[in-house]
Amino acid sequence: MTIIRRGTMAAAVMALGLTLAACGGSLTQDSSGKDDSDTIKLGMLTPLTGSSAAIGPHMKNGARLAVDEINAKGGIDGRKLSLTVEDEACDPKTAAAGAAKLVSSGVRISVGGYCSSATLPTLSIFEKAHIPMIIPAANSADLLSEQRRNVFLINGTGIQQAQAAAKFIKAGNSKGVALIDDNTSYSTDITKRTGDELGLLGVKVADHQSVTAGESDYSGAVNAVLDSKADFVYWTGYYQEGGLLIKQLRAAGYKGRIMVADGSVDGKLIEIAGKNNAQGVLATMTQTPQTIPGGEAWLAKYKKKFGSEPGPYSTQAYDAVRVAAEAVRAAGSTDGQDVIEALEEIDGFEIFSGPLNFTIQHTLSVGGFDILVVKDDDFVLDK
Amino acid sequence: MNHLQLVLSGLFVGSFYALVALGYSMVYGIIKLLNFAHGDLYMLGAFAGFIVLSVGAGALGGGFIALIAIMIVAMIATGGFGMLLERVAYRPLRSAPRLSVLITAVGASFALEYGIAVGFGPTPEVYPIGVQDGTLHIANAQITYAQLAMMAIAVTLMVALDTIVRKTRSGRAMRAISQDPKACLLMGVNVDRVISRTFFIGSALAGAAGVMAGAYYGKIDFLMGFIIGLKAFTAAVIGGIGNLRGAVLGAIVLGLLESFGGAYLGSEWRDVFAFCFLILFLTVRPTGLLGERVTERV
Repeated sequence: MTIIRRGTMAAAVMALGLTLAACGGSLTQDSSGKDDSDTIKLGMLTPLTGSSAAIGPHMKNGARLAVDEINAKGGIDGRKLSLTVEDEACDPKTAAAGAAKLVSSGVRISVGGYCSSATLPTLSIFEKAHIPMIIPAANSADLLSEQRRNVFLINGTGIQQAQAAAKFIKAGNSKGVALIDDNTSYSTDITKRTGDELGLLGVKVADHQSVTAGESDYSGAVNAVLDSKADFVYWTGYYQEGGLLIKQLRAAGYKGRIMVADGSVDGKLIEIAGKNNAQGVLATMTQTPQTIPGGEAWLAKYKKKFGSEPGPYSTQAYDAVRVAAEAVRAAGSTDGQDVIEALEEIDGFEIFSGPLNFTIQHTLSVGGFDILVVKDDDFVLDK
Repeated sequence: MNHLQLVLSGLFVGSFYALVALGYSMVYGIIKLLNFAHGDLYMLGAFAGFIVLSVGAGALGGGFIALIAIMIVAMIATGGFGMLLERVAYRPLRSAPRLSVLITAVGASFALEYGIAVGFGPTPEVYPIGVQDGTLHIANAQITYAQLAMMAIAVTLMVALDTIVRKTRSGRAMRAISQDPKACLLMGVNVDRVISRTFFIGSALAGAAGVMAGAYYGKIDFLMGFIIGLKAFTAAVIGGIGNLRGAVLGAIVLGLLESFGGAYLGSEWRDVFAFCFLILFLTVRPTGLLGERVTERV
């Protein structure tokens, strides 16, 4: 039990969901949800239980919004979209079972995947079924290592994030940087790459710590950072631990700057850290409706429909559905091979991170990482 | 490397482990059950405190007195829930094979975690009061007054427990049951009631630790009891499971091991170090620090 649940926790931090299928699963109430070939089924795997359970509804709602918008405009060539959501629980075994379920329910395109470690085993399952995957959140380099043709990432990758972070740290003339991760594949990927990038830029990495997610006391890491005399801390894990870390760093008298990676960009980080402690905390983050021109309209739509604020990866899930729909439209079919080719040929389709073009590795050609800063209760663009 | 600071951090973390480990050890000592849901009672205590705070924050005000009041309410609530858990989940299985009860405990753990997730949502909650305040500098190490207060509360609770178990009638009954429940029954001890009371006390201690964690760290969530449950179990084993003073000693040893292991080997090696030590230690002394040698009855 220990081993299984620890694995769940570690995994819990990263990926996004998979699908938007239309098959009239229990989570979809489309009137068109009956299994007729006129419906384009999208499937999404996203954490609905486990330690990342908070993310699932954000992603599901984002995708739902896009599906409803497209259907309201008549669908794709007269065919409606439908969305089926399965739990990935940030656990590889649960995710694999969910993927198999989506495949057997006739999903044509997967638009989910949050935790990278849980998304990994689903790649081959979807590949065998010739189902393209547009992964909205999971972004570990591991997802690309086997170069599967059906895998497309529309979140910025670890290396793009690391480059943005290193560039910013270099510009700030930091004398020593402390990198802190939470031992998950997403988090260690960013710290390692940021360390490499900083090395190339000639910035000193004073300390590197790993903490255990799910604990409350990070005094060990905090003391090590203070001992190392670092004046810049980059935390690459998630907001729950990030909030505690910021609070404990400040309480111990750390005066330098603190930056967090995209997994920590959440209002709860500020709440957990304490509003005063969080002021001026920086973040590397992909573009969100809060930070792009015209985003207010999208925010208003979302709030009206679901009665809540969008959360992390709501926008990416929304975009994943739109990209899937665009590919089907361009391909003129839902055949996996045709859709993959259409995805590879997408040129300048507008999504939140900017005009979309896939690189040869099927990642975003424009990473679109911004530097945000905490001001009052929100993350805003650092000007 | 600042050794005094490492000792202070280790003791502070150890005092949380100790409060949870005591309940583990008490329950095991008396009915030989590894109550895997025990860590979740810690989580439940944190949420009980959170509810009290949300409802009555205005009336109670902030500060230390309020924290004590909240803690007492949360301890009663968590203790009551521990009794309920025993009555509903464990008592019907008292004569069942050990494995069935173990699985029931795992099930109870999941039920509590996801019950809270359904009730409060999976996003973490933030305690409306915090107890971060002044810092005391001792030589080149520092400790906050809040940390000192937490440790003082923990020590007070432990001393109270020790007194109950050693000096009172019901403590004597607990010790007697841990030696031979059947004989106790024959001597007219109300075994069920004593076990119930044991669950109440053990759960209340975990609940107190939960409130302390909520107030000190600020963040609570439905999975917060999982890791500390494991660590507390480890502490109880190091100390000799079933032995209460051993549980406290084991918790302090584990806190210090983690603190020093993390500082010397790098934080990613902290748990590896602590658990390697556990394995080595148990090879040399399988009964734990203060555990008694049990002769295998054939």
